[in-house]
Formats: sequence, structure tokens, C-alpha cells
Amino acid sequence: MKILAPISSYDELEMLAANGAEELYCGIVPREWMEKYTGAIWLNRRSPKGGSLDSYADLKRLVDDAHKLNLPVFITLNAPYYTAEQMPLVLELAHKLSDDVGVDALIVTDINLLLRLSEAKLATDLHVSSVAATLNTEAVRFLLNFGPSRIILPRSLTLAEIELIVNDVRDQVEIEVFMLNDGCAFEEGFCSTTHHHTVGAFCTSLSEMETNFEWAGRNLTNRRQKWLRNNLTDYREWVWYVNGNGCGATPKGLPFGPCGLCAIPDFHRIGVASLKIVGREASPFKKMASVKMVRDIVDRVRTGIPKLYVIERAKSLREAPEHCASGFMCYYKVD
Amino acid sequence: MEWCLHINGAGDLKGDLSLEHISSLERSAALQSSLTLTARLIHEYFGEINFTRCVFGNEFCEHLAPSPAALESALATTNSQNLAFTLLTPYVSNGGITAYKKLFVLLTERGGGEVVFNDWGILNLLRREFPMLIPVQGRLLNKSLRDPRVTTIYAASPAPPAAITALQRSNLDCDSYTGLLSRLGVETIELDNLPQGNDLSFSESGMKISVYLPFGFISTSRICMAAGLHYRKQDKFQPGAPCRHECQTHLLEYTYTNSPFGNRDQKFYLKGNTYFYLHTEAMMRALFAQAQEGRIARLTLQPRLPMTQ
Repeated sequence: MKILAPISSYDELEMLAANGAEELYCGIVPREWMEKYTGAIWLNRRSPKGGSLDSYADLKRLVDDAHKLNLPVFITLNAPYYTAEQMPLVLELAHKLSDDVGVDALIVTDINLLLRLSEAKLATDLHVSSVAATLNTEAVRFLLNFGPSRIILPRSLTLAEIELIVNDVRDQVEIEVFMLNDGCAFEEGFCSTTHHHTVGAFCTSLSEMETNFEWAGRNLTNRRQKWLRNNLTDYREWVWYVNGNGCGATPKGLPFGPCGLCAIPDFHRIGVASLKIVGREASPFKKMASVKMVRDIVDRVRTGIPKLYVIERAKSLREAPEHCASGFMCYYKVD
Repeated sequence: MEWCLHINGAGDLKGDLSLEHISSLERSAALQSSLTLTARLIHEYFGEINFTRCVFGNEFCEHLAPSPAALESALATTNSQNLAFTLLTPYVSNGGITAYKKLFVLLTERGGGEVVFNDWGILNLLRREFPMLIPVQGRLLNKSLRDPRVTTIYAASPAPPAAITALQRSNLDCDSYTGLLSRLGVETIELDNLPQGNDLSFSESGMKISVYLPFGFISTSRICMAAGLHYRKQDKFQPGAPCRHECQTHLLEYTYTNSPFGNRDQKFYLKGNTYFYLHTEAMMRALFAQAQEGRIARLTLQPRLPMTQ
């Protein structure tokens, strides 16, 4: 079970390796893409500004030096789709990343791109992005037709559902799960909205809109109205947690945000291959703090410390018992 | 072009199938004017229409899967009226795969029909165990941006033509993708009518295009706000959590009051786990013009927000 960390600059490499990252992922947005599509059409699931590298030279240096540290580097090519006009550029990029840069895997969402890359027989591995919304074993079996070495499960699966899938396919493909930071109020692969800075995420934007309930059938009584309104308030609070507690941090600067630390003992037992820390666009400090937290728990699990002690440690690391107790900051409910 | 009606059950087919009657099925006052507009525009472009196919089921939530009895009843009624049949399916967990497998067995025993898949796992199951059922790619697997907060703004702005084209298309304009779908036995693709307009040039590949109206989907989730109504606060909003179909009791209308643009009167609708936009008159006129040009093989009228049980 590896710790997968986000990286968006060569300068973060040494810090992430020293603090316990065991795999790295990042994005690259070449100049040609930006010239043609501007910032409106994203090559991968992050804004070109801040979340991705922009030159092959920088990426090559990062990959070469990461390999010296025994850290594989994966690259996101995980836009929900690419059109016929975009595809040659994306395929050329994939070949460069594989043949010239030597990245270890490409993270792909679009089934068409997955098909094209599997036919291209690149030297690099293929990982299926969580955006492909692989929610069941049958979907994994479908994707295996395209030869991925890893499938990243969406964060909306429960521990029990993940265990079922891993049990069914463990000999055929690696399974990666979400561990820390950004949440998603919707099923990421079935959310057709943008996070463009002009409007922000749809889920958080909704929390600031005027609302009106309409009751089916009989009148919407005051009592029902209150019941619905209270639930809406709870939901908006949950969305606030999903959004990293309003992008907040502890007094020591540790980042809040959706968390799966308490589930690490279960993931170890189940046989999950990798734990993903989200946040390519995050600050170096947030990345470092995130890797340190996950590494702390993983090390304890690897040495066989009992689950209850691990969970206690995980909660103490978050330094915010009230948030842990809310139940809204957890990716996974742990028994 | 084929006209298709999304039915809530056999009862919908027992009465009058005129546009006037069908457009009155939705009980929501908030949605009624949109359905009236839809009926008026359909009549204007196509006159009185004849439905030759029904769709039944739900595309967004496995908890709203029809019971075998409801499916059997809907099938019997559509068969008796010589209507073709399409079963809708949503994205699913392993539990959902098991539930839908029972419905596919029943559908096969009753002579077959189309199954709309919105999950690659459902397609895999259909191909392996139910080759008699005809798979149709659902609209959730078409990944075009449908964010009505911005897409109309993008389409109207002096954005680079390449960016606009990318927004109006999807991977469906790649021959490799439509070729893959053909090899998988998929001949029909379902789409939403996009706020920024649809480029349907991929129909030249031979894929048949089916479009829903008058509701477009924006986003959906395994975590349902309505399902939280009966849970204690700390247990609310868990993925796939069992529910009592609380979504059937109410509709939540959002007004885009915090828009940075001029579209602050825009409305979005949440029912259960899914958000929808309404087609505007301009969107429907653009869609109907494309239909008249022969680019669309099927239009599916959904007389209710498609989150019925």
C-alpha cells in the first residue's frame, strides 16, 4: 500500500520524498494547448494556472530525479473527454510523456483515449481516473479490456463496496482510493459543471443561492418547511466540510478537508494498492503536511499497531476533535 | 424521427396521449410552464405527434429502480399498445448490478427491448449475459459540459472557435469511439440538449441520436440531500445510504442569485440526488430545427422531472 502525493513543481520533490511520499502525480499543460483553448477548456481536471507544470523540460527533470529516489511519477490526462480535433495533440503528448519523459503511468478518464492509448502500446502504464466513475466490479471488468494496471475508485464508494471490488479483481488490477483533502459533493464522473474561477464549484455556489421548496401533493406546512430547511442547512454544512472546511486549517496550519486516515487499517487489510492525497494546486506546505499525516498512520499500520489505536492517533493528528465527531469530514465510515 | 414518452408506469398509457394531457402530468407548479411551452413548441414544429416508444425507469438513482412487478406491468401495457420499450438504468454499485440483473432477466423473458446504460458495468453485464437486450448509451456517459451558469455565456462570448467547438462536441465526434461503441453493439446515443448548443455532426458516423426534453441534467451524486431527512445529523449524507424515497415528496428550486453575470434569474432544480436545468425556448427551437434537418433519430419527452419512482 503506497502513498500517492500530488506535485506541481520540481521544487516540491525533495520535500515530498523526505516526508514519506512513495508515488507522485502531476499534470502538464503544454503551451500549444493554452494557445488554442485558453483556460476555458482544461486538458486535465485542474486549472492550468497553479495545478500543472507547463514545460517538458521541467517535467523531465522532475521525473528523472524522482526515479533516482525510487518514486514513480504519474501524469493526469483525465479530462472527461477529448474531441477529434483535440485527440492528435493529446496522443502526441502521451507519446512524448511515455517515450521522451519516461513517466510511469498516464491517468485517463475518457474511454476513447484509454482505447487509443491501449492500442498505441506505450511503454508507460495506464491508470483509470476516478472521474471514470468505476463504481462496481462489472465496470472494472469492462475497463480491463483496455489493459490498465490501476483503477482509481471514486471517493463515493463505501469501505464495504471497495472491499467487494478489491476481492473480485485483486489479481488483475491495482486499486487506488482517495485518502485526504478535497471532496466532491457530486459523483465526480457525472458532474457536468466547471470549477472555473469566474463561478466557482457548482456545489459551493448552490449554498449561496436563494431556494424555494415545493411540496408534492398537499400543502407545504410550516412544520414540513422547517424540516426541509433544517436538512438543507445540514447539507450546506456538509458541503462546507467537503470543501475543506471552507478551505480552513488548524491553528498550526494543518489543512482541513475530507479525510480517510481512520480507514487506513481497513485498506491495508483489504489490499488496496495506493492511497491518494488530493491537491495538485495546493501549497507546498499543505502537500507536506498531508503526506506527513498519511505517512504517520501508514507506518503505524505497517508495524501492526491495532486499529483502535491507529484511529485514535489519526484523530489526534487532525487536531480538531469536533470536526472528526461531526462525521462530515470522513470519506469513509469506519466501524 | 421517432417520438418516445417517458412513462411513470402503466397508468400513463391508459388515458389520452395528447400533448395537452401529457404536459399536465407534472404536478409541480414551478415546472408546469416549461412543460406547457414544450408542448406548444412541439405542436408548432411537428403538429400532433404519435408516440411509438416508451422509456421506463430511472437514469440517476439505483434506489429508484422499478420493482419487477412495475416493470412487468409497464411492459404488458406497452406491448398491448404496440409501443416499443426502453428500460432506463442509472450508475450503480455492486448492489445495483444485482438488482438490475433481475429486471434484465424479466425483460428478456418478455421479449426484450432496449436498455439505456449509464454505467460501463451495466453494459458489460448486458453483453455477457443478456445479448438479446439492445444497449443504448445514456446521457450520463456523454461528458459535454452542461453547466448552465457559464456555458451560455461562453457560447455568446468572443471565445476562440476551437473552445466553442469543444464545448458543443464530445468524444462522440471521434471515429475511434463510435467504432468502439459499434463493436459493443451500441447503435443509439442519448444526449441532453446543451445550453451552449449541440454539434451533431457525428451523426454522419451512423450513430443514431436520441435527445431528452425539456429537462437537462447538471450533476448527480451517490450522496442524496433528501435521503438525509430521516437520519440523525451525524449519519446524514452517506454514499448510497438506504432511503425512504424522500425525494418523491418535494422539489427544491434554486435561483442563481449569486451569478457574476447577468443571468441571475436562472433556475436549477434538485430532486433527490440530481440537479436539472430547463430548456429555454431558444434551446428547444434550436433542437427542433436540428430534428427537422434529420440529424436526430428520436426525441424523448419527459412529462415529469425524471426522478420518479
